[in-house]
Amino acid sequence: MFRLTSKIAWASLVRRRTRSVLVVMMIAVSLWGLFFMEGIYDGMTEQMINNAIRSDSGHISLFGEGYRLDPDLSRQVVDVAVVDSFLARDNRVLSYVKRLKQDGLVATAHYSRGVAIFGVDLAAEEKHGRLKGYLSQGEFSFGKKGRGTIIGFKLADKLQVRIGRKIVLSAQNSHGEVSAAPLKVMGILKTNNMALDENAVFIGDKKARKLLAIDEGVSQVAVILHDEAQIAGLQEELRHKFPHLEILRWDELYPALMQSRVMMEGFNLVASLLVFCVAALGIFGVMLVSVLERLREFGIMLAIGTRFSQIRNIIFVESFFLGFIGFSFGSLIGGATLYFFKVNGLDLSMFSDAFDEFGMDAVTYAIVRPSYFVTALAAVTLATFLSVLIPLRVLKKSKPIEAINKV
Amino acid sequence: MDNLLEIKQINKTFQPNKEVEVVALRDVNLDIERGGFVVLSGPSGSGKTTLLNIIGGLDDATSGEVILDGQLLTGLSEVALSEIRRDHIGFVFQAYNLIPVLTAKENIEYVMKLQGRSQQECDERSLEVTQKLGIDTLLGKLPNQLSGGQQQRVAVARAVAATPKLILADEPTANLDSKTAASLMDMMQRLNEDEGVTIIFSSHDPLVIGKAKHSIVLKDGKVIANERVC
Ligand SMILES: Nc1ncnc2c1ncn2[C@@H]1O[C@H](COP(=O)(O)OP(=O)(O)OP(=O)(O)O)[C@@H](O)[C@H]1O
Ligand SMILES: [Mg+2]
Repeated sequence: MFRLTSKIAWASLVRRRTRSVLVVMMIAVSLWGLFFMEGIYDGMTEQMINNAIRSDSGHISLFGEGYRLDPDLSRQVVDVAVVDSFLARDNRVLSYVKRLKQDGLVATAHYSRGVAIFGVDLAAEEKHGRLKGYLSQGEFSFGKKGRGTIIGFKLADKLQVRIGRKIVLSAQNSHGEVSAAPLKVMGILKTNNMALDENAVFIGDKKARKLLAIDEGVSQVAVILHDEAQIAGLQEELRHKFPHLEILRWDELYPALMQSRVMMEGFNLVASLLVFCVAALGIFGVMLVSVLERLREFGIMLAIGTRFSQIRNIIFVESFFLGFIGFSFGSLIGGATLYFFKVNGLDLSMFSDAFDEFGMDAVTYAIVRPSYFVTALAAVTLATFLSVLIPLRVLKKSKPIEAINKV
Repeated sequence: MDNLLEIKQINKTFQPNKEVEVVALRDVNLDIERGGFVVLSGPSGSGKTTLLNIIGGLDDATSGEVILDGQLLTGLSEVALSEIRRDHIGFVFQAYNLIPVLTAKENIEYVMKLQGRSQQECDERSLEVTQKLGIDTLLGKLPNQLSGGQQQRVAVARAVAATPKLILADEPTANLDSKTAASLMDMMQRLNEDEGVTIIFSSHDPLVIGKAKHSIVLKDGKVIANERVC
């Protein structure tokens, strides 16, 4: 009986093929759009998060007590050796870097600006967050004598400096005195982490210690883990181990980024709802007309002994075919499109300069998650069921048997 | 005489709206013998279709009883009636009887499939019936590839293939030319004789009416003649 039901359902759809193809396309195209938007938006969000993690926060950052409220040189991670040995031995940790930070002032002949000074070990940063990948001009080095600096591209714009130019960096040192150092701009970074691009002045760790008159201690230890799922666990452990330090996850340091990830989930829900509506309305329209056209046919089937439930099954199967074929096509082209942009990236900079402005990568690499397809399948399946309820009611109410004699 | 069907005191009133009442059948009492070849005739609007629908459980009588082979049909549930139609009653309507997306063979086997018979049984029975009716060359065709007369033959084949006790045919020849009509009637007559299935059909056509062994005439919902020819 199931074969017969499917056969009648399928043949009825083929008989009205223009309409069927139209609905299938409607569903497929709306799914395509959904998958595309999901994958690209997801890609953007994850890239922004990734940029922040690589260039600054890591998955977890350790700060001296009170540093985040008042980032003073006196509030440092002092027991560096203990932290070092713990992190070096923990096999959840992929890498970690230590940074010295202080606010300062950069001046050129014409301009001056407040900046954030980062004393870093470039080799460690490269291994940690592949920082070199963000270099947009110049070289990834502080020069042989360590008198060079690498600065954010927006800062470079504002100061109107180019590679090779001199700037003077001044800051209050640990004794409360202002000290200054002339530096040569060696490289310009574009991390798309706005905080860095606008403010960061990277200098060598040694140079920073000299400038700030600090022997030991660091302002921040940023840790990257092998597995994101272990972040919370490690944070907990670190807090236990180092109760006097402030230990924060990336999402606590960049709540806005976490918000866009959460928004992404909401966005997916809304988009799935839209797909549900498109599928439900499309199938509803086609099935309603189809049922009304076939009143007499169903009447005859009922007269010769078909049960109403068997006719209901035919209608459900038809709806299911429409939904499922639409879903399959949509997933196929949507998946293929996302895969293409996952490999090749999508360059959105041609549409807008705003991508630079707001710290987004010009080229977005799409993400493809199974959850897109699962959610969409659920939405389409729900649509196939709900959309035929009204046509079925209409069918029942219009007494198809009476239609037999109305030739 | 052994009666297959007893119709007792059937009345049917339609009420299309509050003010209008149409009395379609009045106090109809009939006995139909097993193996009968029965015609219902009478002018348009006399109640032929209404009576056939009530016999077949497609419509409810306002009062009265229909008893098929000892079983009271009146008051049965939708599902029970559906099963009785599937297992014991074959239907042939005036035109466009066939499920448009199924081939002639699939149409013929449809009711047998509903009855739960195996494909092998269906194959054997459809071959037997179609050979008997001389339509075995049409089996692979879709309804829209068949002429009106061919469609009616396939519909008759479908009705009889499921081995019902009773076949109800409402003006099966009304849309056919007289030659085709005559050959369809011959076919039904042959089935009635060969298979012993009871057939009740309605018609306006004197030539068709003349073939019946039992003639019932309705007028204004009343039986005005009821005679057996033989
Ligand atoms: N659904 C209905 N609603 C209201 N009146 C109806 C309905 N069906 C039939 N009637 C009326 O019942 C009466 C009998 O109709 P019926 O269709 O049984 O006649 P018939 O003998 O089959 O006529 P015909 O030869 O034209 O097919 C007619 O007066 C008709 O108008
Ligand atoms: Mg009639």
